[in-house]
Formats: sequence, structure tokens, C-alpha cells
Amino acid sequence: MADAHAATGHDADDHKPSFFVRWFFSTNHKDIGTLYLIFAIIAGIVGGAMSGLMRWELAEPGVTILTQWSGGDLDAAANFYNVLTTYHGLIMIFFMVMPAMIGGFGNWFVPIMIGAPDMAFPRMNNISFWLYAASGILITLSLFAPGYGSNIGFGGGWVLYPPLSANTGSPGPAMDLLILSLHLAGASSILGAINFITTIFNMRAPGMTLHKMPLFAWSVLVTAFLLVLSLPVLAGAITMLLTDRNFGTAFFDAAGGGDPLLFQHLFWFFGHPEVYILILPGFGIISHIVSTFSRKPIFGYLGMAYAMVAIGFVGFIVWAHHMYTVGLSVNMKAYFVAATMVIAVPTGIKIFSWIATMWGGSITFKTPMLWAIGFIFLFTVGGVTGVVLANAGIDHYMHDTYYVVAHFHYVLSLGAVFAIFAGWYYWFGKMTGKMYREWLGVLHFWVMFLGVNLIFFPQHFLGLQGMPRRYIDYPEAFAQWHYWSSVGYAITIVGMLVFLVAMIDAFFVYRRKAEANYWGEGATTLEWTLPSPPPFHQFNELPRFDKGDAKAF
Amino acid sequence: MKRLIAAISGASALTAGAAALAERTQGGISMLPANSALAEEVHFFHNWILMPIITVISLFVLALLLWIIVRYNSKANPTPRKFSHNTTIEIIWTGVPILILLFIALPSFDLLYKEDVVPDGKQATYRGDGQTADFVFANDFAEGRKLVRPKHLEVFVDDGSGAQRLKHRDDYRLSGLGDAEVVVEFETPPAAGTSIVVRGGRSGISVRGCPLTARYFDACEKHIALAPTMTIKAVGYQWNWQYSYPDFGDFDFFSNLLPEDQTTSELYLLEVDNRLVVPVGETIRIVTTANDVIHSWAMPAFAVKIDAVPGRLNETWFEAAEEGVYYGQCSEICGIKHAYMPIAVEVVSRPEFETWVDGQRALAGMEPMFGDDVKLASAATGDNAN
Repeated sequence: MADAHAATGHDADDHKPSFFVRWFFSTNHKDIGTLYLIFAIIAGIVGGAMSGLMRWELAEPGVTILTQWSGGDLDAAANFYNVLTTYHGLIMIFFMVMPAMIGGFGNWFVPIMIGAPDMAFPRMNNISFWLYAASGILITLSLFAPGYGSNIGFGGGWVLYPPLSANTGSPGPAMDLLILSLHLAGASSILGAINFITTIFNMRAPGMTLHKMPLFAWSVLVTAFLLVLSLPVLAGAITMLLTDRNFGTAFFDAAGGGDPLLFQHLFWFFGHPEVYILILPGFGIISHIVSTFSRKPIFGYLGMAYAMVAIGFVGFIVWAHHMYTVGLSVNMKAYFVAATMVIAVPTGIKIFSWIATMWGGSITFKTPMLWAIGFIFLFTVGGVTGVVLANAGIDHYMHDTYYVVAHFHYVLSLGAVFAIFAGWYYWFGKMTGKMYREWLGVLHFWVMFLGVNLIFFPQHFLGLQGMPRRYIDYPEAFAQWHYWSSVGYAITIVGMLVFLVAMIDAFFVYRRKAEANYWGEGATTLEWTLPSPPPFHQFNELPRFDKGDAKAF
Repeated sequence: MKRLIAAISGASALTAGAAALAERTQGGISMLPANSALAEEVHFFHNWILMPIITVISLFVLALLLWIIVRYNSKANPTPRKFSHNTTIEIIWTGVPILILLFIALPSFDLLYKEDVVPDGKQATYRGDGQTADFVFANDFAEGRKLVRPKHLEVFVDDGSGAQRLKHRDDYRLSGLGDAEVVVEFETPPAAGTSIVVRGGRSGISVRGCPLTARYFDACEKHIALAPTMTIKAVGYQWNWQYSYPDFGDFDFFSNLLPEDQTTSELYLLEVDNRLVVPVGETIRIVTTANDVIHSWAMPAFAVKIDAVPGRLNETWFEAAEEGVYYGQCSEICGIKHAYMPIAVEVVSRPEFETWVDGQRALAGMEPMFGDDVKLASAATGDNAN
């Protein structure tokens, strides 16, 4: 480690710009990664608080909580509830998971893992982040702009289906601001994705072929392709929506010869790859953590890489499984059933390869490994309920019920978010140079694990009992499971407080300095050859993989 | 004859009146009770094919993880092994899931087509005269839907002691399958005065109450669903449903949520002022569209959910097996009162349905459709007096 540092460390390394130049004009991939992570944490707190308001309201039947915020007006409360579901979804997807996984960990570790000094286009990297920040401002404005009547915000669900998102359902400017926000977020992600693809294709260390590249870099590469191919479709769809709303076109207006379902097709052509965009970087993170703490190389490296490629590819041809009840022809549904089920195969390969990586290992159950093992099991649970929903004949019953809510929170809230926490604890010392207190991390994991399972497992039952999603109030018979789900949220909040304490403790109380490779021999990727935190500029002399010590990660 | 119809349709004779139960139960963990043969097939597929598979897979993964935690922790196994490939196991964990998915896919497609293809079955009734042994059934179905196998026909006789389902080969033979006419041939001519009912169609659905083992092997007795006897149009509005009955003079009415003080706490958010009324044991075609934004017409008891989209007509169907009131809720977000536009279907006997139709026609200023003996004022379904 020390010699790696010596090889790269000369005077220029720590020549850091002044605060304003460093953080506002930043072109350094690590600083930009940090900005993205801070952005994601803020968004996560906002999005999480929104789910808290929803769970509080749903804890018992009747509208009792949100009316207190709306001065007793039931309609305003109901609108507020719809706004909460909508912005919770949008914020968690676009402003929490994506910036954390791709902007945060991707920016921080992809260049380091492939032995590059920085991203290919550092200035473009800067504008990617600040477009995101602008996008965040626009969505915040949208939240407070009139949507339906005098009610603020857009309350039509994150899927933005017209006519509810058109002038018919949401005439106010909230929806226009939201469209512009998504335009900027999309542009930012497309620029970021181009940056990652260029970086990974052109800036790998000498001798690091694609087939020797760490799996996290693979996962970000596949994700970047999904972003570049899917986001323009979303941009097109919401632009058409914008012109429908403001310039008299009728792309989605049946009265003018348009078709509301066209929007749904376009949206889900983006939307389904999007869910893999959210989870694929997590797959990469989990692979590294499982390997590190098992002190064993990743099992079936090539299979793991190409399983992600396969998932990404198939992810583009399954979109209408979100639309089984819209009135598709039966043959079309049959195709989408078959295509959707195919995804279970590469996903299964990944699950079993992680298990095989651990098999025969010498495992230490440090905090990141707990999150990783939790991820594997809970992602399996979310995955198998996905197989259930893939069957159109069943989805006619389940569609838009809490079963769907439970399913996608198991793969995202308990999947993607667990992967983010796993990555956070895994790389925390590397990014900050400080260690967290181990038992606080472990406690955070167990409280969260209990809490989120209690939130979402009963929601399967609610769905089977026919409870529709996006409902502010529900028949009395659903009360018991809603109550327990809300109790689960309260436990999760305690978990998040433990997380907060663990972070404050790490920065201000514990203050244990992180070594270069604090996980020991199991951690083999290039970031562990650099000090913690890495120098401002790394790899002034490139690491080489073409001199006989080549190894795959 | 009425008993015959009841027996054929699988309707229970026990139901009396419209007992309104929410069916959703506190702490309930299962699908809502099925009220059609098709919904029972949906339940079987979910409860007895999908659930066991996903439970076993989840527990298998959990067991592997627990074994790894016990056996391969750093204390139990201080020196890690270094393997990273095993072609055999990789082939197995690719191949076995494919087989499992095929096992799921076959019944899944079967179920999907049953749900999505509106039945076109026909029924013909013949009267035995003690001499005729051959009965001709017109095979005039659309291309691809013609009767070509014995299972595409069901034959019942009723000599006055109740309808009996006959067995192919044992009780009758068929000729002309695939041709323009199928002939049902009896060894001995049915006695004079017996009714012979022949149902034909490719919309065979496993009968309700078919045992699990028979369902696994697709060996259930089938119930051929007939072509719809009526179409009902459901139009979604912000925030109520409008139902119209084009086959009965196109009367229509709105169906609104009953306010909290006008219903029980159990039924609040489910009960409406004017329910959709349908006859039991008949195939009902539901056509949906919407007036403003997208809504979704959902009825879990029939495993039916179909979006109501402005500018489009969607169709679905169901055949209620038992009388009663069944509830669903709008299932596509449609604005601030999305949670306040439930759906209630009241399944009644044919005579009650006819009484109700005439009552609705009277309200719309139309003549009765089903005879003069109908007392318009006292429509059997009091809740639905519009």
C-alpha cells in the first residue's frame, strides 16, 4: 500500500483548490461523487419523511392526520396524499437511488477501480451534477406550485399517466415544472452515462481488459447503456406531454385523435430499464462485498458480468408487463409474460453465484457483509413475487394492489437501498478516511432489517386481500396490516437515527483513522491500494495489469 | 327447466337474498373468495402452483445462507478455499430455473387465454320423443373456435328428477367433430319428455370445487362458458361509475360511494348507492371506458380488473357462480377521490334481475320488457331503486 502511495504521491497530489472552486466548479470525480452522495442523503431524508407521513396517515382507517395539515379540508388532504405518493416515488428513484449509486459510488470508484486518474470528461461530470441540482430545485418548486385547482403539487403518481397529468387532470403549473425537472435530471443522467461509457472503454489501466474489469465497473457500464438508450424515450414522452399541455397538440388526448396508452408504452419503455438502472450498480457493489468478506474470488466472474448484460438487454423488451390491465391483446400479453419470466434466469445466476462465492469462504460478518447477505435474501423474496406478477392471469387480480407495492419495495427499498448501505459502510473509511464504530453499524442493520420487513411483508397480505395502492383511506378490514406496516416504519425511523448517530460518532467522537486497506486480504480491487482517503489526484503513474501479475476481480 | 339451468350454471340454490359482506377480513392473508369457476382457477394457480414454488425457492436460498453462516464463518473455516468456477453447478442453476419457469408458464398461458378470450359457447335444448336418438348441434363457430374434440361439448339430460351430466362414450357418442354439424348420438333414444341440453364451445373452465389433484393434472370436469347474454358498459368518471345496459333499452345510472353515515363501518368505502346488477350463472360482458382520466374497474371475486381509458373500449367478462354482493375499488389513480369510487356488483337470480330491469326501464320511461306480472314498484333489490 505504502509503495502504491509513494508511486502516485508527489507534490501535485494534494494541491486542492479553494473551497468554492473545489466544490462548485469541481471537476474531480471524487469530489463530484461526494456531492452526489450528499445530494442523495438530503433527497433520501425528504423522500423518507414523505413515506412517514403516508404511513402515519394509513396507521388507522379514516383520514385523520393529513387533514391537520390541510386545515380540515378532506379534498386538500387527499390531494396531499396523492402528492406524497408521487413525489416519494420520484424523489427516491431519481434523486436518491440514482445519484447515490451512479453519481456517488460510480463517480467515486469506477475511475479508481479501472486505474484511471479521473473521468474522461471532468467538466461534463461537473455539469451533470449541477443539472441534477437544478432538477432538484425544479421538482421542489413543482411541489409547491398549484396542480389541481388550488391544491399544490402533482398528485398523479410517479408514472405521470395522462390524462391525469394532462390539462384534464392537473391543469396547474406543478406538472409543467415536474416535466422540466425530469428533463434536466434526464439530461444529467445521459451526460453522466456517456461519461462512464467513455471512461470505461478508453481509460482502463494498461492490460485491464474488459474481462478483467471489476464487476462494479461492469455494472455501471451496463447501467450507463441502459440510461443512454432509455432516457431519451422518457424525454420524448414528457416533451409530448408538455406540448399537449401547453401548445395544443393531442399526442395523448383521445378527443384530438391521440391515445393515452401511447404515453404508457413510451413511459415503460423507459421505466422498466429504469428499475434495472436502480438495481444493477447494487449487484456490482454486493459482488465486491461478498468476495471481500468471504476472502474468496468472485464465483463465476464472467457469468456474473454477462448476467448483468443479459438482464440489461431483456429489460428493454418486457415493458408492457406493467400494462396488463390496460386492454392489450391477449397474444401481446402472452409475449410479455414469456419475456418477463426469462429475466428470472440471469437473476438466479447472480443470486446463486453470490452464494457460491461465500461457499467455502472464511467469512467475517462485518457491517457491509450483513447488508449484503440481507440484500441477497430480501432481493430473492422480491424477485420471486416478481415471477408471480409476471403472470398476466394473476396480475389481473394483483395489478395496482399492495402486492405490487410490496414487490417493488422488496427489490428497491430492501434491495437497492440495502445495497447502498452496504456500499456506504464498505467504502465509508475509504471515502472519508475515518472508521465508523462497528457495533453501531451492526445495530443499524438489524433495526432496519426488522423495520423494513415489518413495513413491507404485511403489504403482500393487503394486496392479496385486494387493497388498492395510492389510497388515502381504506375499508376497516385492512386496518390491522396497515397498523403493523406503520409500526414497521417507526422501527425503521429508529434505525435511521442509529445511522445518524453512527455517522456523527464516526466523524466527531470515534475519529478512528482508516488504513489504506482496512478490510484486509479479501479486498483486492485498486481502491484498496490507495490511502484512505485517496489523494486528490490518483494514479499519476498508471497501475499496470500487463506484466504477468494480471488478475481478474 | 329452471333447476336444470341452475345445475348447469353451477349456481348454488342456497343463496337467499343479497347478503352484503365485505369479504375482506381483519388480518386476512389470502385472496378474496372466488365467485366464479375462472376465479377459482386463478386461485389454484396462485395458491397451489406459484406460492409453493416461490416459498420453496425463498426458503432454499435462506437455508443456503444459514448453512454458509454456520459452516463458513471465519471461526469454523479459517482458511478460505480458492475455487471460482464449477461448470456443472452453473449449468444446473441455469437449467433448473428454466424448467421451473416452463412449469409455471404452461398453466399461466392457459389461464391467460381463458381470462382474455370472451367465451363463445352455445347451448341448445332438445326434447326427447322416445324415438329420436341423434341430435344435431350446429358447429358454426368462428375459425379456430370450432368444436373438434369431445371435450368441446357437454351433454345433460333431465327426466324430471334433476339434471344429469352424461359421459362421452359411456352415455353418448359424437360424430362430425370439425364439420359444420356435430351429431350427439345415443345408444337408446331418450324417453319422451326428457330434456337434452347440449353445450358446445372451447371455453371450458374447470368446475368449482374440483379437487386439487385433478387440477394439477388438468383432469377436472369442465364447465363450458356460454357467450355473453348481455353487455354492460361501465364508464369511469371523476369520481363515480356510470353503468348502462344497452341490451335492455340502454338505461343508465350513476353509482356513487355511500357516505359513512349511510352504511356499516365494515362496508364503508366499498358500498355504493346503486349497484351493478347481474343475473347469476350467465356470462356478462363488461365494456369499459372513461370520461375524463383513466380509471380501472376491478372485481376481485371474479379476478377481473380492466382499465377504463378515455377514447378506448376495453372488454372483460365474468360468470358469477353465486348470488350476493361483491365489492371492488377503482384501481388506477384518478385524482383526489380515487379512494372514494368503489364498485359493487349485486348478483341475483334471473327473475329478480328481470324485475330489476323492468324497474329501471320504468324509471327511464320505458315499457316493461319481461311481461306484465312484474310489479314495478316493489323491485326486489330495494337498494337499487334509482
